Amino acid sequence: MNTDTPRPTLLILDDEEMVLTSLRNLFRLQTEYEVIVHSSAQQALESARTRPVDLVISDYLMPEMDGITFLGHLKEIQPQTIRVLLTGYADKENAIRAINQVGLYQYIEKPWDNSTLLIVVKNGLEKRQLLRTLEEKIAELAKVNTDLKSLQTALIKAFL
Amino acid sequence: MPDDRVHQPGGRDPLAPGTGGGKDGIPDGDPRDLHRRLDEVEGLLRESGARLVQAEKMAELGNLLAGIAHEINTPLASISSNTDTTALALQKLKGLIASEFPDEASLSRQRFEDAVSIAGESLRMSRLACDRILKLVAGLRGFARHDDLRMQKANVHEGIESTLALVAHELKGRIQVVKQYGDLPEIECLPDQLNQVFMNILVNAAQAIEGPGEIRIRTWQEGDTIRISIADSGTGIPADLARKIFDSGFTTKKPGQGTGLGLAISSRIVQAHGGRIELGSGAGRGATFTIVLPIRTTEERKTNEH
Repeated sequence: MNTDTPRPTLLILDDEEMVLTSLRNLFRLQTEYEVIVHSSAQQALESARTRPVDLVISDYLMPEMDGITFLGHLKEIQPQTIRVLLTGYADKENAIRAINQVGLYQYIEKPWDNSTLLIVVKNGLEKRQLLRTLEEKIAELAKVNTDLKSLQTALIKAFL
Repeated sequence: MPDDRVHQPGGRDPLAPGTGGGKDGIPDGDPRDLHRRLDEVEGLLRESGARLVQAEKMAELGNLLAGIAHEINTPLASISSNTDTTALALQKLKGLIASEFPDEASLSRQRFEDAVSIAGESLRMSRLACDRILKLVAGLRGFARHDDLRMQKANVHEGIESTLALVAHELKGRIQVVKQYGDLPEIECLPDQLNQVFMNILVNAAQAIEGPGEIRIRTWQEGDTIRISIADSGTGIPADLARKIFDSGFTTKKPGQGTGLGLAISSRIVQAHGGRIELGSGAGRGATFTIVLPIRTTEERKTNEH
């Protein structure tokens, strides 16, 4: 991991502690990601208000609100976060409908395959990184453009 | 389908023939003729009653299975993932042991490696066990679809596979299933009900085989129909019984093993799809049931059903 890019941060939300533990251990063992886990959607949203997250994995069927609603709220707080939905078999159709609704990056079916999950997350984070780089380049371009404009103005003034 | 006629209180049974119309609503005519008609009506009632009970039981069973599959899925997902993660952790541990104890012959290293190898072996078994449950749960989900009473496009191979997963315990070790699946288009059908037909025929086939044997499932397309033949290496059906096996109430099984309704119901279901079940058999050379189903059900057929 590069020193000037901080460790990617994941947020995982599932009302089942056992799923949280399984996922957290998988990422701890196989990756360098910073992993935040929550079993309550409200608490996850609270924490997202103060802490930027690169990628979020949310369960679909939860008591407080369903995963799509949660991802919708999270999108308002952190639009840049990559959103992944973890669904049971029966919820697959809802998930597919939600792809456009909340800008879902991917959905993963339970029971998931560890290596598939790791690849989906890795690719999601890469996309996040590329988008970030793109934003920075656009900002740089905009700045250079303004600089050029003021230089041009200065030049024109000098010749007049 | 529910038959309202049965529940008409007080009124004359409209099933009774329109002849006569004597006092007290009792039709007159030849008593023997009446008796025969009464027997017919009774048979019809018994069959439709049995169909209702069976349909209800299947619906209940379907819901139960779907519920169980759903409840098992999350803990199973967790176990399955943990198994793989632990195996990976163990791999890392192996590397650490090797670097920590460079002397391969050292007693400490061997002790560590023994423990790691036992854990690895156990995990491999857990992986296999998990895979089996995963397959079973997938079968349950396929079997218990909720939207049952709408015709939908479905692949019968999926239905056969789901059903096989459910009857696996009846076949286990004893009966080999040989599958020859042809290229089939999806057909318009009620997948739940067809699963029930596959189940009835497969269970019958398994029960007809004493000791080890074989069930052959073959599928193919013929014109605008698809065909599924299920052949067993069992005792076969003698010619004199072959005509009766689709009658409700007919069974050769011991009490408790069969209701005598399975094939009657199966045949009704297939007929409602505009198809038929053909029987090829002879005593001693096993039975072959061939289910013939149209690829498209016509609108006409659908409206006749309701």
